[in-house]
Amino acid sequence: MNTRNLFFASLLGATALWGTGAYAQDTTCTGETVTLRILRTPGNYPYPAPMEAWQKQNPCVQFEINEVPFAQLADTISVQAASSNPPDIIVYDGPNTQSYAAAGILLPITKYLPKGWDEDILPATKAEHSYEGEVYSPGIEQTTVAMYYNKKLVEAAGIKPPQTLQDAWTWPQALEAFKKCQQGTAGSPTVWGLGPTRFGNGQPGLVYQDLIYQRSAGDPKADPSSSAYKTFWALSPDGKTAEGYLNTPEAIEALKFYRSLFNSEGVAPKVGIPNAFFDGKACFYIDTPAAGNALLKDPKIEWGITPIPYFKTPIVHTGSTTIGATARSRHPEIAAKFVVDMSWGEYAYMNVSQRGNLPTLKSLFPRFAVYNSYPMKVFVDQLQEWGQPRPPGPKFAQYDKLVTDALRAVAFGGDPAELMADAEKKVQRVLDR
Amino acid sequence: MSVSNTPSQASAKTKSKTRKPATRRQKRDWMFAAGFLAPFMILLLVFQYVPLLLMARNSVYDYSLLNPAAAKFVGLRNFTDMIEYDDASVSFGVTFLFALGVVLFVIPSAFSLALFLNSKLPARGLVRTMIMLPVVTSSVVVATMWSFLLDPSNGLINGVLNVAGIGNQPFLTSTSQALPALIAMTLWQQVGFGAILFLAGLQGLPAELTEAARIDGATRRQVLWNVTIPLLSRTTLFVVVIMTVFSLQAFAPAFLMTQGGPQESTNLIVYHIYNTAFIMQQAGYASALSVVLLLVVLGISMAQMALLRSRWNY
Repeated sequence: MNTRNLFFASLLGATALWGTGAYAQDTTCTGETVTLRILRTPGNYPYPAPMEAWQKQNPCVQFEINEVPFAQLADTISVQAASSNPPDIIVYDGPNTQSYAAAGILLPITKYLPKGWDEDILPATKAEHSYEGEVYSPGIEQTTVAMYYNKKLVEAAGIKPPQTLQDAWTWPQALEAFKKCQQGTAGSPTVWGLGPTRFGNGQPGLVYQDLIYQRSAGDPKADPSSSAYKTFWALSPDGKTAEGYLNTPEAIEALKFYRSLFNSEGVAPKVGIPNAFFDGKACFYIDTPAAGNALLKDPKIEWGITPIPYFKTPIVHTGSTTIGATARSRHPEIAAKFVVDMSWGEYAYMNVSQRGNLPTLKSLFPRFAVYNSYPMKVFVDQLQEWGQPRPPGPKFAQYDKLVTDALRAVAFGGDPAELMADAEKKVQRVLDR
Repeated sequence: MSVSNTPSQASAKTKSKTRKPATRRQKRDWMFAAGFLAPFMILLLVFQYVPLLLMARNSVYDYSLLNPAAAKFVGLRNFTDMIEYDDASVSFGVTFLFALGVVLFVIPSAFSLALFLNSKLPARGLVRTMIMLPVVTSSVVVATMWSFLLDPSNGLINGVLNVAGIGNQPFLTSTSQALPALIAMTLWQQVGFGAILFLAGLQGLPAELTEAARIDGATRRQVLWNVTIPLLSRTTLFVVVIMTVFSLQAFAPAFLMTQGGPQESTNLIVYHIYNTAFIMQQAGYASALSVVLLLVVLGISMAQMALLRSRWNY
């Protein structure tokens, strides 16, 4: 008898609990549940905290996240974008926006952008993420490069690097500093004047970091038909012409200097040396704010930042990963809303503060105390005063590969004029196709 | 005057005419055989032959992987582009040089090692392990390790050269040294495989032939040159074909160590195809390159088989 009572009591209790659960679900999501599929790189945004906060306001939306390493991201997007079930949201390398827009992968989000976005967004970010009058990604964070230095090594060599944009070095001045600070034989020293990049396989030539040598030898205010003007832009404004933009007299002069760093002057290595700067094996080192944030958390060395040197016109490249909704998403409205929300207001702040890169919204800069004073302020100043996207166009990925190959060959000792003429020809073939 | 069928042909005809219908047991055996073969045949069809047909079809289209729906039929333009522009000829040229270098160095080295392993000299077990280790090591690990060894500033190989009074060499950053460096790395990695194949061949040779030659007064060198090497022609053909195909398919060294540079001096064809499809987004052109590569590999393998076919049997 007792057993039967216990059984019915349990049944009643379970039914009550089930009913409560059902009620609770009804109050959280009254409509159909939607699952947004996100493709991103590991450790990238959107981060859990802003996503959970957003889900509280949009209880019917769930997420399925797929992650691939950054090196495989573009390949994965190429394959998945064309599949019958593409992701709804992709986090991708920002300079590819125009390629993806032209291929019909990205959904234009102009109509979803909040009021005031146009005034608040950094001009370089807007330029990078727009195509034929439409915005395809709102951008969340932005990066650029500056030149870090090892205080101990630099002071020991009697060098005082500038700390503001007004006092920034020219490249020949920077070379003098590299030579003065370097220890050991040129070409195989114990301490390098300028350390290798941490991007890619550590070899020189990346457009993000090294195309600025020749671009800074140009002049954006010159006559648009002049070689100085074309040198600065490195690709025609409509993205359709490379001929006459890479192989210019100004660019070749700059590239001869660039080549000398790795060869005749021997102040920069031709291959990567992991952690060279952080291990005290390089006086100067070019990197994004990520390196500064890592050093602020774990100050392995005493360090400072000096603006990127230039020849005639100061310039730094902008760009970061960014977020977009896919045109073939099964839930384009919700995907676009999520993408825009994540990049605006408090959600944007939550996302940017997680990793420590720079925000894309000017209104957020004051909220990041670290960027309001030296040394990290150099990044903000550069971004606002000197920032330019890498030459944007619907064939950026191809441009990036071909120009990187050419710059790398120059760094390895090749003839700049010959290599840039070849790069122009190859890029033009891609653009014409 | 025509000659009538030979007796054997006639009997075969008669047999086929009077073939008994298959028994139930035979039918059941056929069904079982087909059942066991089916999974492999289906996989072969789906993952080998269907992609080959798709590749051949794609080679006459111009399209990007980002938007394959916008594929445009271009006829033979992808093939004429290979003639008009020099990227294909440069890449094929580099690949042939690479394959030639690998085959030319691997065959004698592997054969010498196999002779050593087939002898009664000491430390054979140790040498066998040493030469097989690179074979079983991942290509990625090998490429990364050799990148450090070949570092132009602080690499171990340059350190050794410095001790010998030779200055630092640029290796992977030099247009003239990058390809030889990749050949050296591939030799180091593949020589063990070649040696094991040659060793198997050597151990399969009938001992009485060499013994007879020795009794007839042949020196060891004469036995090697006139008996062993001719009798190993089948093994040699196999090793040559395998090494050639391996070399023509090489991807990891170019991808991980040089990215095809400097100045395309190591732009191996498979890496070039990958680049063309996934980075340059010219999947149609990449398919056309693949079709040509397939024909080239077939042609080379057939030529090697014709030239090196066995003239001796035992």
